[in-house]
Amino acid sequence: MATNIQALPGKKKGFWSIVASQRELILMSVPLMLYKILFSYVPIVGWTMAFQNYKPAIRSIWKQKWVGFDNFVKLFTGVNGARFIRDIVNTMGQSILTLVLGYIFAIVLALLMNEMKNGPFKRIVQNISYMPHFLSWIIVCGLVSTMLAVPSSGGIVNDILMRLHLIKEPIMFLAEPKYFWGIVAGSNLWKELGWNTIIYLAAMTAIDPSLYEAAVMDGASRWQKMWYITLPGIKSTIVVLLIMSTGQILEAGFEIQYFLGNGLVVDKSETIDIFVLTYGMRLGNYSLATVAGIFKSVVSITLVSLANFISGKLGEEKLI
Amino acid sequence: MKRFLVLFLVAALMLSVVGCGSKDNGTGNEGKDSGQTQTDNGSTDNGESTEASGLPALSPDNPVTLSVWITTSQSAPASDNKLTKLLKDKLGVTLTYEIITPDNADQKTGVMLAGGEFPDLIGATDLQARFITGGALIPLDDYLTEDKADILYEHVKPYWNRLSFDAGDGEKHIYILPNYNRFYGEITGGTNFSASGFWIQKDVLADAGYPNLDNMTLERYFSLIENYVKKYPTIDGQPTIGFEISCPTGKEWGLTNPPEYLSGHPNDGGVVVDDGVAQIFANKDIAKRYYQYLNQMNAKGLVDRESFTQTNDQYQAKLATGRVLGMYDQRWAFGNAYDALVAAGKYERTWVSTMPVYEGCEPYYADREVMNINQGFGVSVSCQNPDIAVSFLNTMLSEEWQKILSWGIEGEDYYVDENGKFYRTPEQREQQKDLVWRSSNKLEALMDCLPKHQGTFSDGNAFSPDDQPDEFFATLSEYDQNFLNSYGKKTWRDFLNQPPDNPVYYPCWNITLTEGSDAQIASQQLTDLAMKYLPRAILADPSEFESIWNEYCQEIEKINYKAYEDAINAGIQDRIANWG
Repeated sequence: MATNIQALPGKKKGFWSIVASQRELILMSVPLMLYKILFSYVPIVGWTMAFQNYKPAIRSIWKQKWVGFDNFVKLFTGVNGARFIRDIVNTMGQSILTLVLGYIFAIVLALLMNEMKNGPFKRIVQNISYMPHFLSWIIVCGLVSTMLAVPSSGGIVNDILMRLHLIKEPIMFLAEPKYFWGIVAGSNLWKELGWNTIIYLAAMTAIDPSLYEAAVMDGASRWQKMWYITLPGIKSTIVVLLIMSTGQILEAGFEIQYFLGNGLVVDKSETIDIFVLTYGMRLGNYSLATVAGIFKSVVSITLVSLANFISGKLGEEKLI
Repeated sequence: MKRFLVLFLVAALMLSVVGCGSKDNGTGNEGKDSGQTQTDNGSTDNGESTEASGLPALSPDNPVTLSVWITTSQSAPASDNKLTKLLKDKLGVTLTYEIITPDNADQKTGVMLAGGEFPDLIGATDLQARFITGGALIPLDDYLTEDKADILYEHVKPYWNRLSFDAGDGEKHIYILPNYNRFYGEITGGTNFSASGFWIQKDVLADAGYPNLDNMTLERYFSLIENYVKKYPTIDGQPTIGFEISCPTGKEWGLTNPPEYLSGHPNDGGVVVDDGVAQIFANKDIAKRYYQYLNQMNAKGLVDRESFTQTNDQYQAKLATGRVLGMYDQRWAFGNAYDALVAAGKYERTWVSTMPVYEGCEPYYADREVMNINQGFGVSVSCQNPDIAVSFLNTMLSEEWQKILSWGIEGEDYYVDENGKFYRTPEQREQQKDLVWRSSNKLEALMDCLPKHQGTFSDGNAFSPDDQPDEFFATLSEYDQNFLNSYGKKTWRDFLNQPPDNPVYYPCWNITLTEGSDAQIASQQLTDLAMKYLPRAILADPSEFESIWNEYCQEIEKINYKAYEDAINAGIQDRIANWG
């Protein structure tokens, strides 16, 4: 993040003298650069598959048959096109809903925990809330699908709602498209809420206590301290995290849609990744999958740059 | 200090360069990492023992490890499995398993092909021949000779044309050894029939006074179920489920196949063949009629509303509770649930198959067993020593090992009477029903994919206890014996039609579609549409059925299904030309 180390202001130096004065730092960054190049840039060569009719039997990507933009046409037009666009909407819808809910609840929870004066109790709450983070998605999906099933299959949610006389017939949550985004966001919230608060709690500990003392002297209430000191204190953290998450908007997760999705809810559940899996991996159409991958990368880079730019314009933190 | 730092960085840089280098080298010889420890000179040293088969002999002095990848719904053997130990003691072979359930196999296949690294032996039910066209398997033709893999050669010799496949280089080779329905000698089998049917719980029939099952129709099938549900709304305290549909990813046929049976066609997958011409039936009246009927049955509450959201595991678990009265399925696909009910002694909760058809149609549920093609074991290109792998498969197909794998160990799992006939004691039969015992004493996952000596052995015994008529009947519980007697039948198979001779091209479901072709994409799109619209149509209010069905048919028209039909028809013609 904050690797842009600047030479101290002073007499204007030449490029080489700056290099010479920072040689240790530059040398230290070399292995990391190599790592990045090797694992993030070299694989881009594989993008050539998008312009080929890739067959895995021919191992080398240079001996494949070149087909120009055929795969792009296949992906973005016709039956596939309509489906791919639906999947983009689903991906973004699910991920934005997850993001917004995740953010708001994590910040609120962090603020509340920060106000807790009872040390052991606070730690217990914290531990319990971030425990689900360590469960794998397959387990979480199993829990979710059982909880949302009909009562005779162990569906506790329907059971409770029926006992409270809120509903007469059990609701088939996993068979109704309208609930699916909510289920995704809800499961994500349950799993990641506690974990997401950690970084805010850390940022809060960095706030100078004298600010709170001064506020108390001025007669600030607890709410006012939260609003005028704690929140502004973690504002930069919030903004940086937000910019970083915009790059993840086309990553709505994969497991939950894969495990909980089914034919009935496919209009709301299928995401880009699921599409890539079905038509790319399962049918062995690797070229089509690559096109979808390129599309995702381009959109993500655009979104991050945009968020970064807007944030800069608003006078907030910038990532780059 | 600075110098030290520079040195360190240089070292780091070199390490990363070396890392890249060895990564490139590493892709080809994964077998080395996977622990294949046979000594290369083993085969030359033991020259005298390679004699008959011309392949390296397997012996405990020369231990080898083979990694096997198996698509099966059987589970992996327990770590203390006695046959695992026997393989090691007698042949020096240790197997490391990777077991993939059929519903996950397609994706896993795609990932493995993209990665280009494979286990030594690949046991797949790979209808699209993706491992072959993806260059994952070696041609076995050179091994399949009388002086090399003699037993395997015997196995494939009569069927060379059917089994050989063009991987894309214009030449046909045998890559995969068929795992089922290559018969030897007299066929006594088929007592434990394992294909399609509309299954119905035995107690439903018993309660209805063992009604005649001939001329079954959907209407009669569901009225039997309806009557039972009314009479017994709960089973073991849980609500009774009338009819279950199982169609998770990879098993969509559980929802899409029934119309072809109902209209008197055999299982040809996504098409029905009339007069040698295949066409899809998804948008035809035979399909509409079935789904509309299910829609009405759903309105009566007879169809499980969770059918379309449950996974295969949840489906099996539900069946295993014994409260499901009926379902359309293939016997092998719910074997785990069936076995669990047997293990629990709930024989009356297991099912027999019925064959409902539309009026004027003759049931064609049972077909003559067709030999699997593109299903079974192949040897991968990553395998370090294919000689050893082929030798292993060859040894496994010998009668000696087939008896061990199928019957067990003489004296422990079965006895031989004075006439040389194999038989089991009641205790031995009983322990076969125990799932835990089986995982410690049988290699079911491996056996599922190995080539088998089905039919009869040279000593006249049947390949498996289930095929030995006396043994089959003696193994049955008292309940099942009474049940069969009430119907005047001897085997479960008798509940099905007598299959006519298969057409030469049959079955169309294993015609290979080229990977990434329009036909293959159309086939997937048809499946996707079915999974999207059929559940909605079935669960909808009966008044909405028509509009959903029409929408479904319109969506089908947008798909290039002609390409799919053409590819199947081309496959039919090719088979008529080459197999006839």
